[in-house]
Amino acid sequence: MGIQEVQGQSGTPAYQKKKKTGRAEGFQKSLLQNLKNRDQEKLSNTAFETGTKAAAAGTQAGAQTKAEKVGMGRIGATKDIRMNAAAMQEALQAVEVRRMSYEDSDHVRIAVTEGYTLKGKREEGADARVYVEAKYEDGRLEAYQVEMAKVSGQTEHLIEQFAIETMKEGEEAYDFG
Amino acid sequence: MEQEWSYLVEEYRAMLYRIAFSNMKNRADAEDAVQEAFLRYMKDEKPIQNKEHEKAWLIRTTIHICLDILKSGWYQRTVPWNESFENAAKNIYLPYQVRDDETLEAVLRLPVHYRNPIYLFYYEDYSIHEIAGILNEKEGTIKTRLRRGREELRRNL
Repeated sequence: MGIQEVQGQSGTPAYQKKKKTGRAEGFQKSLLQNLKNRDQEKLSNTAFETGTKAAAAGTQAGAQTKAEKVGMGRIGATKDIRMNAAAMQEALQAVEVRRMSYEDSDHVRIAVTEGYTLKGKREEGADARVYVEAKYEDGRLEAYQVEMAKVSGQTEHLIEQFAIETMKEGEEAYDFG
Repeated sequence: MEQEWSYLVEEYRAMLYRIAFSNMKNRADAEDAVQEAFLRYMKDEKPIQNKEHEKAWLIRTTIHICLDILKSGWYQRTVPWNESFENAAKNIYLPYQVRDDETLEAVLRLPVHYRNPIYLFYYEDYSIHEIAGILNEKEGTIKTRLRRGREELRRNL
């Protein structure tokens, strides 16, 4: 009798069903959490990579931090980045990579912790132009030509800032000799 | 013949010295390693295919000599002459490069399997393909070491 009562109150099928549901819910929760974690991890990885790219393509020295702030480095995510992107079209022009050596460069920036190097050289000619070559940790090479007349003195654009530094370096080198 | 050697020494001495210095971290041992590399090149009877091969051979040999010295019982029993980092950095910096002593010091302290790819990639401007040839490794291995080395560097700084 006692046994029957126990079976009636918490019978095996009911218990199993309840347990299964609980497990399924738990699994669903943990799956969702795992997916969420994985997405976050992916995003932070993308932020890191795009941060490095953005360092050379549109943000200033603390490019990575800034890229994280502005929605993982997507150009156009904030107003100032959009303005920089517009400025980029004006002053920057992607050109063919010349594979310029450090010795031939007027100015070199080695950003080991950011994963890139920049080389700059003043171009000869009537217009003030600077050739900038970027090399990334994954082996990619990119080159830009910067028209200095279109670059603002207060630019936050990394390549433009580097071009300004290159111009100064070039002038100093010329002054000395 | 003598002209050929002097040309070779002039062409590669500075670069090989910087690479040796990044491994040995003192002037005297770096100079010894470079001299030994040139001596081995002169004695070596292997035909050198071209200039790039010649350069890669010299870099690879210099690195191997440095590692052999570092591993030798004699070296491990002696205390190297400690130069201040400021003095040491003068031996390694290129004149046109923006100075960053903290990072350079951290690079020189990395384990050898990260230090050499990072030094060659960033400070000597070699491509991943060239470094793979110099260090006799696959390009993928070099990419991984560059990434992991940089991550370790960030942790150390």
